[in-house]
Amino acid sequence: MKRDIHSLIQSWLNGDITPADFEQLQDELLHSPEARQQLRHEINLDMVLRDHACSSLDANLTPWVQENPPARNSKSNANPFLRSWVPWAAAAGIAALLTAGVVIRTQRNSLQASAKVEETNQGAAILTRVSNAVWTDQTHSPRSGDTLGTGTFKLASGLAQIEFFSGATLLVDGPAEVEIHSPWKATCHSGKVRARVPPPAQGFVINTPQMEVEDLGTEFGVEVKPAESSTEVHVFEGDVNATPIGSKLVHLSEGEGLRRCNAGITPLKGNRSKDFVCLERMDALTQNRAKTRFAAWKEWKKQYCEDPRLLAYYAFQRSCNWERAADNDAPKVASFCTGGIVGARWTQGRWPEKDALEFKRPGDRVRIRLSGEYEGLTFACWLKVDGLDRKYNALLLTDGYEHGEPHWQILEDGRVMFSIASPPTSDGQTPEAQAYYSPIVFTHSNLGRWHHLAVTYNAISGETTHYFDGRQVSRELPPQQPPGCTVVYGPCEIGNWGLPAAGHEFPIRNLNGCIDEFVIYKNPLNNVELQAMYQAGRQD
Amino acid sequence: MSEAAPPEHYETFVRLFVSHEGRLRGFVRSLLNNWDSVDEVMQETSLVAWRKFAQFDPDTNFMAWAAAIARFESLKHLRRQSRDKLVFNDDILDLLAEESLEDTEHLEHQRAALSTCLAKLDTRQKDLLQLAYQPGVKFHEVAAQAGKSTQAFYKTIQRLRASLLNCAERQLKQSGASA
Repeated sequence: MKRDIHSLIQSWLNGDITPADFEQLQDELLHSPEARQQLRHEINLDMVLRDHACSSLDANLTPWVQENPPARNSKSNANPFLRSWVPWAAAAGIAALLTAGVVIRTQRNSLQASAKVEETNQGAAILTRVSNAVWTDQTHSPRSGDTLGTGTFKLASGLAQIEFFSGATLLVDGPAEVEIHSPWKATCHSGKVRARVPPPAQGFVINTPQMEVEDLGTEFGVEVKPAESSTEVHVFEGDVNATPIGSKLVHLSEGEGLRRCNAGITPLKGNRSKDFVCLERMDALTQNRAKTRFAAWKEWKKQYCEDPRLLAYYAFQRSCNWERAADNDAPKVASFCTGGIVGARWTQGRWPEKDALEFKRPGDRVRIRLSGEYEGLTFACWLKVDGLDRKYNALLLTDGYEHGEPHWQILEDGRVMFSIASPPTSDGQTPEAQAYYSPIVFTHSNLGRWHHLAVTYNAISGETTHYFDGRQVSRELPPQQPPGCTVVYGPCEIGNWGLPAAGHEFPIRNLNGCIDEFVIYKNPLNNVELQAMYQAGRQD
Repeated sequence: MSEAAPPEHYETFVRLFVSHEGRLRGFVRSLLNNWDSVDEVMQETSLVAWRKFAQFDPDTNFMAWAAAIARFESLKHLRRQSRDKLVFNDDILDLLAEESLEDTEHLEHQRAALSTCLAKLDTRQKDLLQLAYQPGVKFHEVAAQAGKSTQAFYKTIQRLRASLLNCAERQLKQSGASA
């Protein structure tokens, strides 16, 4: 069926046009000047609507744009691009160009980020822990700490603990299929789940194909066997209301159960508690798992420190409580590479036995000094970001910003930025630094948990690659010629910026989060090596 | 690189760029398939335009000059996108680019008129539009927020859009008649 040009243009603008409709749209646009004019008018309208929506949104943006809250402009000055350019124009200067460019993009993206954040925060639950979990859909396997929205989660094997925003906790014993409807409601399509429901979550409902189970503040188990068309519910503590579909409500108390098989409803003794995994068992499993992971990481680290390409390896593992030095475990590097911890406090890392450093206050930092010139680099760290408070949030920055010096930081919108200062040109001008951005990798729903972050840089070609959790997220060549200088460091800081350039617009860049392991190489590593590094160090 | 304009031209550049930014954005959007790409291309365009600013002849039209850069940056961006993305073919891009430039002034008047019309809507209608056009959101998601089915939400928005376009057209006709 042919669609009219108006609806074709709308689909195109909304980004949900089908390939067939797109063909038709192209055809119309090619042959009809009116169609093209209509397209221009609709785009114009879109632009006006977006600009107005953007400007009204500013008022609600405090969490992500703290340092320089956008002025609350009148409608007449509603163009967001314009707003970011005006203060910049006042502070004109070539050196500011790049920074200002970043500001424009950052501001737009931070608006987007917060809009997206609103949407993701509408999740219903958090996957708090998993144990040997294998998900049926490998491409969308959630990790512990993930916010879960509505939808179906198929656990092929292993255990998963889901905490609903209502306060109810589900322990899912794979294979199982659980569908989350809301913080108050889930369906168990198959498998075994145990629900623990504290008083504030009373009224939490688990549906099954044969029964609806409403909790009255208790602990109970549900087992669904689709092959037998059966559902069993067992009450271990407290009371539940069970309503077999098409039948009357049955009130069950502690030690009671009910089985529905096809049309038959049978009372049961609710004494199969041992058959349902409990929180205590989950605790033990998680602890064991953490021990195993930690041991594996220690083993791997031994080998790893032998790599001659290492320039520095800070494991951030303290040897005593008042330790204020961050040891460099790379053996072939002189001792002055030991980092000095300033302000940052020791805290727990990826596992209970592993330490990490917590960076919170503007003064917190680890000072290091690295000598030599290199033809490339790899930075990698295990990082838990608690908030992106600053326009730039430091990972590793050299003091100042002389040519050949790298800066690695997270932007407030959740993208990672790597930049390297360029040498002066032959006529003595300082060109802008080469900066490379990842897509948005940090969002509200993945803050507060451990991630592996890495960047590689080849000083010859200028090629820069960003990695997030072992996965390449962007690869870029410099827009013009390669910078033509080797990488140098000198004094640097992890988690802060030691010596901001005088009069810099954004001198405060302290990180809000924890770092557990920071590695610096003399060369760019490849995809396979970074994936391996992630796998060896992942939390669970 | 070494051709970059001297720093004292910087303010001139910023002034010109800012005053043409709206027109350029609309132009770029006509070539690209989403607003996020527009942001990226505008970013690149601003940087390239500044780098090449020494080559700009002040007696000529800045919009035409910047649009040429924006067009080139848009094409670069489209080529970077993978093949399965729905990208207009070159003939259409040529037509759109050419006509957008001819149409620049009219489009700008239309935007001004649209803003006036938008201001006249009631609060509820404005709220709905704000919800629908916040950056980075999808229609069906905001429909859920607004408590409506996607279809109903979509229709409401379409009606509002149509009435805004009509209103702007009436206004332009009136001002054209009185001028």
